[in-house]
Amino acid sequence: MKKVKTRTISLLILVLLMCAGMTVYLVKYVRNGADWASFSANNGYYTKGVLSVGRILDRDGLVLSEYGSEKGRRLFPDKKITRISTLHLLGDQHGYIGTGAVKNFASELIGYNLINGSYSLRSGGNDLYLTVDADLNDIAYQALDGKKGCVGVYNYKTGETLAMVTAPSYDPVAPPDDLTSNSKYEGVYINRFLSSTYSPGSTFKLVTTIAAIEKLPNLEDMTFHCEGSAEIGNGKVTCTNAHGTMDIAGALAYSCNCAYAELALKLGADTLADYFEELGLSESLSIDGIATAQGKYTMPETTNDLGWSGVGQYKNMINPASMLRLMGAIGGGGTGAELRLIQTVKSSVGIPTGIYKADTKTLLSADTAEWLTDMMRNNVEDVYGADRFPGLDICAKSGTAEVGGGKDPHALFAGFIRNEEAPLAFIVIVENGGRGSTVAGNVASTVLQAAVEALEK
Amino acid sequence: MNELYDIYTSLAHAEGILLYIAFTIRFLLPILALIILVRCGKSLLSDHPEDEIWGYLVDEAGNRIPLRHFENTIGSAASSDVPLEDESVESLHAFLIRDGRGEWLLHPAKPGRVILCNGEDFDEPLPVYAGDRLTFGAVTLVFAPSTVEEEQRQAVSRTKPGGLVSPGITMFILTQFQLLLCSAHWISAMDELNLAIPICFGALIVICWCYYFFMRALRRMGFEIEIMAFFLVTIGMSVCATSTPGELYEQAAFLIVGLLAFLILGWFLRDLGRIKTLQLPVAILGVLLLGVNLVLASRVFGARNWISIGGFSFQPSEFVKICFLFAGAATLDKLFSRKNLFWFVAFSGVNVIALVLMSDFGTASVFFVAYLIMAFLRSGDVATVILSISGAGFAGFMAITIKPYIAGRFSTWLHAWDYANEGGYQQTRTMMAAANGGLFGVGAGSGGLYKIFAADTDMVFGMICEELGLLVGLSAIACFVILTLFVIRSAKTARSSFYVIGACGALAMMIFQIMLNVLGAFDILPFTGVTFPFLSKGGSSLLSCFCLLAFIKAADTRQNASFAVRLPKRYRKAVKQMRYDLSEEDEEL
Repeated sequence: MKKVKTRTISLLILVLLMCAGMTVYLVKYVRNGADWASFSANNGYYTKGVLSVGRILDRDGLVLSEYGSEKGRRLFPDKKITRISTLHLLGDQHGYIGTGAVKNFASELIGYNLINGSYSLRSGGNDLYLTVDADLNDIAYQALDGKKGCVGVYNYKTGETLAMVTAPSYDPVAPPDDLTSNSKYEGVYINRFLSSTYSPGSTFKLVTTIAAIEKLPNLEDMTFHCEGSAEIGNGKVTCTNAHGTMDIAGALAYSCNCAYAELALKLGADTLADYFEELGLSESLSIDGIATAQGKYTMPETTNDLGWSGVGQYKNMINPASMLRLMGAIGGGGTGAELRLIQTVKSSVGIPTGIYKADTKTLLSADTAEWLTDMMRNNVEDVYGADRFPGLDICAKSGTAEVGGGKDPHALFAGFIRNEEAPLAFIVIVENGGRGSTVAGNVASTVLQAAVEALEK
Repeated sequence: MNELYDIYTSLAHAEGILLYIAFTIRFLLPILALIILVRCGKSLLSDHPEDEIWGYLVDEAGNRIPLRHFENTIGSAASSDVPLEDESVESLHAFLIRDGRGEWLLHPAKPGRVILCNGEDFDEPLPVYAGDRLTFGAVTLVFAPSTVEEEQRQAVSRTKPGGLVSPGITMFILTQFQLLLCSAHWISAMDELNLAIPICFGALIVICWCYYFFMRALRRMGFEIEIMAFFLVTIGMSVCATSTPGELYEQAAFLIVGLLAFLILGWFLRDLGRIKTLQLPVAILGVLLLGVNLVLASRVFGARNWISIGGFSFQPSEFVKICFLFAGAATLDKLFSRKNLFWFVAFSGVNVIALVLMSDFGTASVFFVAYLIMAFLRSGDVATVILSISGAGFAGFMAITIKPYIAGRFSTWLHAWDYANEGGYQQTRTMMAAANGGLFGVGAGSGGLYKIFAADTDMVFGMICEELGLLVGLSAIACFVILTLFVIRSAKTARSSFYVIGACGALAMMIFQIMLNVLGAFDILPFTGVTFPFLSKGGSSLLSCFCLLAFIKAADTRQNASFAVRLPKRYRKAVKQMRYDLSEEDEEL
């Protein structure tokens, strides 16, 4: 009998296997429960696959999305321009725009949490307040003036994304017939701010500059001489005109390709690649759970490629959201808030259901950020023109990314406001817009004026 | 108009109150479930059942070696029940086995061992009596079985269950659980309440208490196992009340039938002699049942495992489980023979293959796991070789005969979300429902999963998680963990290996069924469509669960706990008198 008693352990092993299986389940439940609950077959929360509970509001309480039972679909904002400017933020009614808030924040709208599941005392779901200001979004969309591109503005202290606009867009209530055929709607289902990557153009020079500040101890004393073009490796690096002799601040302000090619050679491809990664440009950000596209640094093949790489005209790609976060980090003295879109979520009886606060991330040292800030301010004062941004202490870098194919280059303008009261970082990309500082700079100016006003309000 | 408005607002207000009551019940249910579990677990696992002593072997120096079981091994191995340290003694030399009537038989473990009884050689099992001189190799011991009076004294002095945790109070808490669950259904349904729900919950409460008082009348004090079963049946009733309230009556009727079967089988299991004579007929019956099933059964949802007679359909495989346990468990004297083991392997093989032929892979694997556990209990490491060979054979056979619909289930396994509307349909809905429920559920009767096909059987755990919450779901699983620990504990004081193997086999079946049911529905194991014991809706399943439970109950050797342990008639009067004397003494003190 003793032997039989000992052998009963085999049953214990079976029970332990069961417990192990249940542990696997519990881990899956904790990790994926929100996804399971927001599955579109979830009756009671979805009607014919359409999320039928929860409202999305902008930061001022304007209702952007709610379920309309008569129409059997979610309703869009009343104003046409808001419908257009928030389309990519909210998502279209067919779910083609993968990064839409309705789709991605479904579990918050349902009111899912691990403890209570989807249970609520009164059905109807939650009110989700976005960080976005719908009016500002409208202004940003209008400022793009029909051109493709994107605008992002966020508060680098709190992480609140105030404006997120992508063009082309359309009125979801009356989608144009030629949506799929007309080239002006090319890529209309992509939120360019979150899901696209662009050639950085000269905005990449900021990365080269940061690497140079930290790796080249005599950078302050270095001078660069530009004759309009330079032999780099077995090819040429050219500038728009001969910039003459200048220091690093001048090289950045005039965006001198010859100077930056020289710097790139001094730094080497590995250093540039390291900084690209360290500054978070190859990372996929998670904005309240929405993943952004990853930028990519392509290792140059030749010395000439390395030169162009430091300039920003090689094959490197950046994502607007991660570039915006870098601007926030520079503005924040090396540390910036992570972007977020959810301001708060309240239950149907008005009780907040969770805490939404941004994490911060340090991307560069405070000293580097301070020096760079001065240089970016210098860009505005010396080259872009401070009077174009009245009342705003803007620090910025423009970019003009050649796209080839006989088309106008993409215009980029990225930077931040140096102001404790209005700590805003921004990025504007106008596809085939022409010169960065002129076209994209104007958009930025318009949007930022409105943004600062909105903040003061 | 004003009056109408007042009536309307007061009604709306009342509904508001009901909402808050339902809200509270959600939290009370898991708390009560936890209390029930803790009370049952504490009672089952913290009692220290004293060893029973059924006699002694006295050596020449006068040392008494106790015989602690009905079945004892004698040999030089340290694991022997009567260890004899002498070179002349084989590691397993003989068995000394007592039957229910108190008569002892001495079996030689193998022919050729030197065993003498009063100096005389013998080959066949030999009855032995008090004072007999038994010689094993060169060691001679005098046999001294317990006298009737000693056995009576032992019966009186052993701790009875229920002293630590009162079963009556646990029953009372269970009743509260049942009442709350019924109320939750009522609030959820409001005017549309199907009367079957209150009637059947009422019947459930009455049945539980009838059983309790009936057993108390028989002076039984151990109810933990039954209370846990009642707890599980209650949750099963809630599932049925949501999915098919009309079938509640049937479910309640099967509960009564199941309890009766539980009592009858338990009573039957008391007598090992009776068991031994019936093992072969039962084995044949089991195989025949499966054979009939193979020939007659209609194909229901892919598996040919249902028989329908006169509008009443049932799964024969549920009853074959009982036959399998009954024929597969064995008394100690049978365990150490290779011939017996061979027959067991062959018998199991026939069962498993028959089930595979019916395409009932879930049940086939349940039998296979029970077989593995029972074979290990029977043979120990000796037969690991046989085990692995038969295991590999099983797997190979499965691989060869995999049917398209089984293959379909395997192809979506671990990828349920990629085939959310095809092969992963049921699994994804189960996970979605479980997430909706959170820890406390959305309320009994308020879930949505029941609309999906087989929600109340194959995906029953999802339904429970959705309506009653993960905590109640986990409590249901915890019941079986407690039962396992209890069976392992009581193996120490078990009288016969039949009971240990029977109980372990029964639990192995139930636990593996739970694994397949729960983990299958959650896409962690392949989805095979196996029921969750006691929870899944279905008459034959409930009936067979109660029969399996009888095997577990039979392993309970605590005094006055199990109906499966007999207190011989001739003791009863004396025991009563002794108890009376003891209590008199107490009062005098």
